[in-house]
Amino acid sequence: MLRKGGLALPVLLALPVLAQKAGPKTWQNDLTPIAASDWNYDFAAHLLERAGFGGTPEEIRAIEKMGPQQAIARLVRFEGADTSKLAPFDESNIHDPGLEPFPPTRPAVTDLAKAKGEALGIKVKPAGNRRLQPIVDEFFYWLRASALETNRVGYWWANRMIASSRPLEEKMALFWHGHFASNEAKVRDYRKLLGQLELFQKKGTGNFRDLVVAVAQDPAMLSFLDAGVNVKGASNENFAREIMELFTMGVGNYTEKDIREAARAFTGWNYDDLKFVVNKEQHDDGEKTFLGKTGRFDGVEVIDIIMQQPATADYIAGKIYRYFVRQDLSPELQKQLGATLRQNHYEIRPLLEKIFLSRDFYSQASVGTRIKSPVELAVTFYKELGLKSIPGVPDLNLATGALGQQLFAPPTVAGWAGGQSWITPGLLLERANFARDVLFPDISFLPPDRFTGGGEIRRVAERIREGMDISTATSDDTKTGAKAESNANADRDEEFNTRYGSFRGSQMAIERVKPIPRDTAQINLSRMVRGEDLKTTKQVVDYFIRRFMRVPPSDEARAKLVAFLDKDLGTSDISVAQTYMEQSLRLLLHLIASQPEYQLS
Amino acid sequence: MTKRFSFSNANRRELLRAGLYGVCVTAGASMPVPVFGQAAAQLASQAKADGKILVVLELSGGNDGLNTLVPYGDDAYYKYRPNLGIKKNEVRKIDDHFGFSGGMAGFERLYKSGKLAIVHGCGYENPSFSHFTSMAYWHTAAPNSGEEYGWVGRLADAMAPEAPPNYVVNIAARQSLAVRSHKHVPVVFDDPNKFTQEKFYQEREILGSVSPDKDGSNPARQFLLDTARSAKDASALVREAWSHYKSPVDYGITGLDLPKVVALIDAGMPTRLYYTSYRNNAFDTHVFQSDTHKRLLTYASDAVSAFLTDLERIGRSDDVVVMIFSEFGRRVPENVNLGTDHGAANLMFVAGKQVKGGQYGTVPSLTKLDAGDNLVHTTDFRKVYATMISGWLGMHDTRTLLNGDFGKFEMFSRTA
Repeated sequence: MLRKGGLALPVLLALPVLAQKAGPKTWQNDLTPIAASDWNYDFAAHLLERAGFGGTPEEIRAIEKMGPQQAIARLVRFEGADTSKLAPFDESNIHDPGLEPFPPTRPAVTDLAKAKGEALGIKVKPAGNRRLQPIVDEFFYWLRASALETNRVGYWWANRMIASSRPLEEKMALFWHGHFASNEAKVRDYRKLLGQLELFQKKGTGNFRDLVVAVAQDPAMLSFLDAGVNVKGASNENFAREIMELFTMGVGNYTEKDIREAARAFTGWNYDDLKFVVNKEQHDDGEKTFLGKTGRFDGVEVIDIIMQQPATADYIAGKIYRYFVRQDLSPELQKQLGATLRQNHYEIRPLLEKIFLSRDFYSQASVGTRIKSPVELAVTFYKELGLKSIPGVPDLNLATGALGQQLFAPPTVAGWAGGQSWITPGLLLERANFARDVLFPDISFLPPDRFTGGGEIRRVAERIREGMDISTATSDDTKTGAKAESNANADRDEEFNTRYGSFRGSQMAIERVKPIPRDTAQINLSRMVRGEDLKTTKQVVDYFIRRFMRVPPSDEARAKLVAFLDKDLGTSDISVAQTYMEQSLRLLLHLIASQPEYQLS
Repeated sequence: MTKRFSFSNANRRELLRAGLYGVCVTAGASMPVPVFGQAAAQLASQAKADGKILVVLELSGGNDGLNTLVPYGDDAYYKYRPNLGIKKNEVRKIDDHFGFSGGMAGFERLYKSGKLAIVHGCGYENPSFSHFTSMAYWHTAAPNSGEEYGWVGRLADAMAPEAPPNYVVNIAARQSLAVRSHKHVPVVFDDPNKFTQEKFYQEREILGSVSPDKDGSNPARQFLLDTARSAKDASALVREAWSHYKSPVDYGITGLDLPKVVALIDAGMPTRLYYTSYRNNAFDTHVFQSDTHKRLLTYASDAVSAFLTDLERIGRSDDVVVMIFSEFGRRVPENVNLGTDHGAANLMFVAGKQVKGGQYGTVPSLTKLDAGDNLVHTTDFRKVYATMISGWLGMHDTRTLLNGDFGKFEMFSRTA
């Protein structure tokens, strides 16, 4: 299609803004604050994506207008920003008395029931078949219910990420969730994980020392690191080791002996349901020698000694920098950042302000070089589309989980590795598929919190409804030949049947856990294009690139996108395509989200 | 997912062997592809079917070797493990000293049929008790050093310096350091069904091409461009292989990722090195370990033994061995929480039809522990790596690859 002559000028004007601006190379490693005269729209967009979850062009322009000092102060010192419209988490009320303390395994539950005549608040049947079955059902009920409710907490949190006027509060909470990583699979109690999240939100930008103490006394963490069973006479080192290796100093700054001594100081630290308690009789009150100091230390004193180590401030400042800025960090720069944290007595905000204001943050080495985490990818995509809440389709937890980051499910105590580890060939393709599922919702979508997955549970359910007895209904006859030992075990009928328990527990859970609303994303790209008064396909492509990408694709790739849109619309003139362009625009956005560069922030 | 045109099974396999299947499939019907050109000959030659395959299985979290292969004939074991020690009558005895944990029927069967090698006392000097540090040492085969590349990645560089596509496969949620390579971009995927770019008809052409961009100024962008190319090379092959895989073999509760490996081997992928793991620090059993640990071992043993059966079924059991390791063993004395803490020396296993089954190395003493109550290693783990590299894969210069000479075991009936 030939372009009309009158359209040439706006096209020319649209082009130069395509290249994203970064500060000069010499700004790298320079912590000098940028000048107000350096400030521009691109810097504002960069800041908003890194310190928060991005924004619409209007939101970016608002930040741009403030100038760097005020913009950063507003993001970092956010107490004034109103969050009263954010609703608290809406509980399903699923926790039964008797579930705490929740035994570590199914065999532990049935052993307990055999010994005591009851477990999980439920009595063993006096006679009859499968006398322990109701207890096993309850065990699986809670496993399933807690997991489902945790997914609702994940939705609640992601909705805060997108809607809060304090995006940094949530971004920092996400950092701490990866740093002090606990997962639902081990903790198995959404209430503890919710409590931990609220701790990260409340204290995440405050004082690091206070945060470490709070985390060390947090029931979710105590449960996750088995601290509850660390007792005088024979300490469990897991907790002390991770506190030093992962939470504060990093490897190489202490000895194995220090770990054992610290573990003694933490003995007796435990939780009673949702409360931190110290069991005095189990606490080792004796003298310990830890990092060169000797005394009858308790856990808090050990943390205070850790805070006196220069390695601690360097380690944590470096990790915060890597999260917000870039992966490679020179030892000199790390020392400067560590010194900032120390001089401010571990207050986190001054460090954040220094980073966000620095020339280094806006240098070529920092801008557009960070790979978005899956949760950031999803929330940023929604936010930059202009949505105010997280859609229920596609399922956020499944989608980000498939990309390697499900909230409350970090793979190990080390959290998510981040950086390039977010991307594999498989995951790169999967990221584009996520965008497609948003733009073109699956009309056969089944809510995963209602339709219990797992072929086995479904098979058992169907057979039970057909009236089969439990043994027949639960036997696995899908395989031929020699039976694997684990399947032979599951088929064994004792005083309970685990396959039946797994089915029945799932059934009880969906009755009681509230459903996640399954709205699809309300997107109107045509209105966006009309609102910006875009006249040609080139302008549309450039506008989308600029709105959704921090690093533009190559000129060749851009030309292909324009050619694609021309072909799909049958014209390069938007005024002609006005009435029917929505689907083509969505395809275009899917193609943009499929560009390798789209992953960069 | 739209289904593309299908080949008969035999045709598909031939094409996969030649590395061409993906090319045709990706291009779809709209673009003519030069199938039988110079590139075809090159691809065919590099995908020679005689290549032996190494599969590495990592048991992450630090598997308790003493409760895996129980030294039931040693009183010291029961002294250190008064509660956790597995009773004589509960182990699956393989001789008058050792027996496997109760659920490991699969390993017992493999051992008794001569397909399982057990290597005792594997470890390294100055062991680290950190999961992440020690695992990195095993991944790089370079304890106490800062090696950037993985041993499997370096091995791939040595075996195939021209770095053909799909030579290294890592089935995982994220890439392991072990496969990090100078030259190869490993194929990393988790769910084969999802290893695909879903596209609409209109998008086929534009999504079927990759721009061959270079970007020296932004390494993150360059990394993404390289990854996009690897994804394009592998995704259709992997997905097709998986969709054609149907096995009657019972892998148990979790097959780990081993059925996927069989699917790819059966489809004739040119992959020589596979890396998989029992994920997420599963074996980190600090508390109440006996039920959990027994279950983990049952699953792992079921999966490995089924893997060998499945390889037999597809007629490739002579070409594949699987090497199994963990980043460390566990402390010899149990802790008060009915669990065990991070330890040092541990067992390694090698399974396969061509493996000369039996026990290798020296059993570490249970009465001469180190100062931290750990087993002292008797075999450097790199000796087992060298055995795989040289004995199995026929790369005889292990000194360069492993930065040292660690010797090797004579572990295979058919030497490379």
